Amino acid sequence: MIGRRLLQIVPVIMLATFVVFGLLQLVPGDIAVTLAGENASDARIVQIRQSYGLDRPFLVQYASWLWNALHLDLSRSYLSNEPVLDQILHRFPTSLLIVGGALTISLVIGIPLGILAATRPGSRLDTTVTSLASLGVALPNFWLAMILVATFALSFHWFPATGAVALGKDPGLALWHATLPSLALAAGGVAEVVRQLRSALIEILSSQYVRTLRAKGLSPASILWKHGLKNVSVTLLTVIGLLVNRLLGATVVVEAVFAIPGMGSLIVHAAIHKDFPVVQGVVLAMVVIVICLNLLIDVLYTILDPRVGLR
Amino acid sequence: MGGIIGLDRRGFLALLGSATMTSGAGPALAQAAPRKGGILRVSSPANPSSLDPATGGSGSDHVFLYTMFDTLVAFDYASLRAVPGLAESWSYPEPATLVLNIRPGVLFHDATPCDAAAVKFNLDRNRKDERSNIRSDLETVTDVTVSGPNQVTLKLSQPDTALPLILSDRAGMMCSPKALRERGKDHDRNPVGAGPWKFVRWADAEKIVVTRNEQYWQPGRPYLDGVELSIITEVNTGLRSVIAGQNDFIYFLSPQQKPVIDRSKGLVSVIGPTLYCVQLYLNWGRPPLNDLRVRQALNYGVDREEFNKATMNGLSEPAAITLPTAHWAHDKEMAKYYPYNPDKARALVAEAGYKDGIDLNFVGFSDQRSQQRQEVLMEQYRKVGIRLRFTNGTVAEMSAAFLSDKRGDGLLSAWTGRADPTLTYQLLFGAGAYYNASRVEAVPEIGPALRATRATEDVDGRRQAFARLQRLVTENALLVPLVFQFELDAHSQRVKGYRPNLLGKPKFEDVYLDG
Repeated sequence: MIGRRLLQIVPVIMLATFVVFGLLQLVPGDIAVTLAGENASDARIVQIRQSYGLDRPFLVQYASWLWNALHLDLSRSYLSNEPVLDQILHRFPTSLLIVGGALTISLVIGIPLGILAATRPGSRLDTTVTSLASLGVALPNFWLAMILVATFALSFHWFPATGAVALGKDPGLALWHATLPSLALAAGGVAEVVRQLRSALIEILSSQYVRTLRAKGLSPASILWKHGLKNVSVTLLTVIGLLVNRLLGATVVVEAVFAIPGMGSLIVHAAIHKDFPVVQGVVLAMVVIVICLNLLIDVLYTILDPRVGLR
Repeated sequence: MGGIIGLDRRGFLALLGSATMTSGAGPALAQAAPRKGGILRVSSPANPSSLDPATGGSGSDHVFLYTMFDTLVAFDYASLRAVPGLAESWSYPEPATLVLNIRPGVLFHDATPCDAAAVKFNLDRNRKDERSNIRSDLETVTDVTVSGPNQVTLKLSQPDTALPLILSDRAGMMCSPKALRERGKDHDRNPVGAGPWKFVRWADAEKIVVTRNEQYWQPGRPYLDGVELSIITEVNTGLRSVIAGQNDFIYFLSPQQKPVIDRSKGLVSVIGPTLYCVQLYLNWGRPPLNDLRVRQALNYGVDREEFNKATMNGLSEPAAITLPTAHWAHDKEMAKYYPYNPDKARALVAEAGYKDGIDLNFVGFSDQRSQQRQEVLMEQYRKVGIRLRFTNGTVAEMSAAFLSDKRGDGLLSAWTGRADPTLTYQLLFGAGAYYNASRVEAVPEIGPALRATRATEDVDGRRQAFARLQRLVTENALLVPLVFQFELDAHSQRVKGYRPNLLGKPKFEDVYLDG
């Protein structure tokens, strides 16, 4: 099954990278003119086009890029001349730390709140949690990020306002820097987990077999932990998968607010300056991450619920 | 903390008189003697295009370059007059010959000598290398010879007294010939100069680090052990990093950020006049802007005072000509040539044959501040029968669209200025110049007037030559200057000794950290 799923990955990656490559060709302006600088002669611009292979037909350029990518050569940045793969490997851990932090916060806060709301449906607590969850979904990340910075960085000086530290360099300092960005990203995640968990758990707790369990005299705690949560675990796993995808995308905004040198800021900088190899490389990395994550979740489904076959 | 939002006339004149204004810093005279040591952490708004002075192309590169490269000629911060740099003196034995006497004993960061041979190597590279973006800066130089161990002689195609100040810019930044030969294109990202600090590393779009050059030629300098320039493109985020104490200094702030600085305890704002001119570039080589009356209508039809208040928070000098009031070549008479006169603008449009008004297609930039400026201009011009339309995009894209591809009648952008005004006028109005979208001289007198600004060494003589050139530019309405933006920087109170300069590009050579 895994082999078949891995084979399905190939056309998805090809399609995604082809679409991005095509879109980049539609972007107005000529990177050769930018690279040549002011007062550049036409001959110089032509020479730059040739040296970067920009004068070749679109399909040839794409095929060349794809062939090199298959050999783990994602080309070099037009601007910095650094290997794109090196740039991604340098920046990815920073983004991963923020996304990981946001996911952890989402689950640690979201799961208990979701359970509390689901076990007391219609209560004041449920209403409050549901309202807060709606607020969490509605709050824009960048706005929350700025509020967090203004409060905890600029007023109380508890956390840094900008920047990031590599986890390998100083784990404590890295986590300290990642706290506010993770919190800003996590607001939507907490809300998502609460809403999905509450809704799934209420459905399960009101099902006939739970009623039967109650009639047989099982304690509410036992019903919740042994039967309720086990049954919502598949839903939770789906939410986690979707959440990680969304959090990866949201790093673009949050990294700008916190001046974090991660994948989000890398692709924004590259897109603005038409550094196409970098854009293409980051997109490829994101697609691979999302596909691998989905594959992992599919495998976990089968472990949590053997009825889900590996078809 | 003193604020100068909505400067009145008296406040504005006081600012110009004092050249710079610092608020929140306490009495400047009470500062202690400079201390050595410490790392200055700077928030920079843009990643450099290159760290090689010859191959870079962005006006925002200079702040990085100044830390690593000394120039042959330096400039006085307040007036932009030429003062000795790596060349301790210079002379014109003949009108078309410039002799530079190079300071002996100066070493590059790789310990090779910065002597006459190195200077010749650099000047030849700057004017001939196909990757050089500054070939036009040195177009009057026909030959460079080493006339002594520490002397070079430049043969010129015509008298050119603009050269000393041109050599205070990129063209005069000396790189190690050994490093250039060995590193080739890699010198763009791994440079070796003779400046106060040595290059350490450049994490692209993230950080540039430089450390003290222990062999620096100026005794006791630099004060700082190093400078770390973090690239934070979002200036509000950059300012927050200084307020939070993660950085010590930020520059190129927008006027709208002045109230934020004023509200922040422990932050010092620095304001100074600059050459940075927000302006409308015009393509006068084709209809409808080949009609002088339409160009004049554009100049009469804009209320620069109102534009300053609406878009710059009052933190700029309304601009009628190409040089600001503080500049040594500023011409007071010409500055009064186009007062705001909507009736005259409307009449000129009608006289040009556009009885129902005229449609003009301009290009501009899509950032928020540019769009705000566009809206103000569209509204002002609408009242005089000029209907402006803007097509927007990124700075690089739309600049190239107007200046290279000849799209649009005009461009709303800015001119960052050059140390010598001849270069400014040459690049904006000279035949074939890149920033002259028409590529032709608007009137034949421009060429001789430009050459005249290079012909005399005497400051008064040059000032008169510039006045004649400015008259031609103004009478022919070759552009629409709007405002000279003030430099607005902010730093923590531990930063001492910083002075802005008229070029508007911060230098940290006098900066030290207190405490």
